[in-house]
Amino acid sequence: MQCFATLPDARLTWDVPIRAPGESALDQTRELDKFLADIERRAFRMAQIALRDVDDALDVVQDAMLKLVRNYAAKPAAEWRPLFYRILENGIRDLQRRRTVRGRLMAWMPGPKDDPDGDAQDPLESVADESPGVPQLLMQAQAMEQLEKSLRALPARQREAFMLRNFEGLDVAETASAMGCSEGSVKTHYSRAVHTLREELAEVWS
Amino acid sequence: MNENSPTPFEKRSRELFEESVGNVDMRVRSRLNQARHAAFAATTRPAARFLGVPLATPAAGLCAVALLAAGIWFAVPHGDRPMITAESQANFEDLDIVASAEESSGDTLEMLQDDADFYDWAAEKNSNPDGSNVG
Repeated sequence: MQCFATLPDARLTWDVPIRAPGESALDQTRELDKFLADIERRAFRMAQIALRDVDDALDVVQDAMLKLVRNYAAKPAAEWRPLFYRILENGIRDLQRRRTVRGRLMAWMPGPKDDPDGDAQDPLESVADESPGVPQLLMQAQAMEQLEKSLRALPARQREAFMLRNFEGLDVAETASAMGCSEGSVKTHYSRAVHTLREELAEVWS
Repeated sequence: MNENSPTPFEKRSRELFEESVGNVDMRVRSRLNQARHAAFAATTRPAARFLGVPLATPAAGLCAVALLAAGIWFAVPHGDRPMITAESQANFEDLDIVASAEESSGDTLEMLQDDADFYDWAAEKNSNPDGSNVG
């Protein structure tokens, strides 16, 4: 019969994987979700080092995630990382500027001498954790603390260059894209940062 | 950083950073996870609309500003704006008459005298309606 003659052609057509219209968008979303899941803790630590506050760091990271998903999800995956860090660094800088302005305003306002609301930090929080078997961890924590302290003392652009290049492993071009400057500037900022940090930490880390 | 061979200092600082990333506490990890899901949820949420027009667009913003400006314009009384009404038009005509009267034309004075006579007659007529005094 004639109708069976058409079957092989039909089967050939079915063998080709058929993608639903929204499937590529779904793949893109999954890929972006994975990218953010991989990067979020590192981004948080970088923000925390710069801002010295857990909640502020979380806010800045969340904002960067939101902006990346909303505005740049359709960009090629290779561009996500420099874009994300550019948004993050902008957020950190904005927050630091706001803090500076707030600090200047607060300097003019009379503040309470003591702490009537009891908002002061619990003294127990500053007591070192003395769990057994941690001397190595303690040394590492102290070394990291010193590094963070020295990083905060650096000019902002040098700190950004060092963290993006060294911590995050971005190459010069990606770092330049994330910082919004030339590759030459990245190299200059980075080498100055390394020079300063090495001098400051040489004695502490030895 | 040298692309191929990081110095011992660079290597050490990177190791310390990786260590600190691994030590991020569970509360922060959980909040980061929530933040990531919130970022995706926010993009899939439909935008606020009014009469089928998305509210968060530049055009919608401009319309809102224009409506607000129009509202303020019509709500505030405008004492300074010059108003040309029928009454003010009549006043201008009176001024014209007076001005022309000041030119001392004889016709105008005569016309004013006629009017005075007429008003006297009308007053007398009202006080004596039977018209007995009318000559």
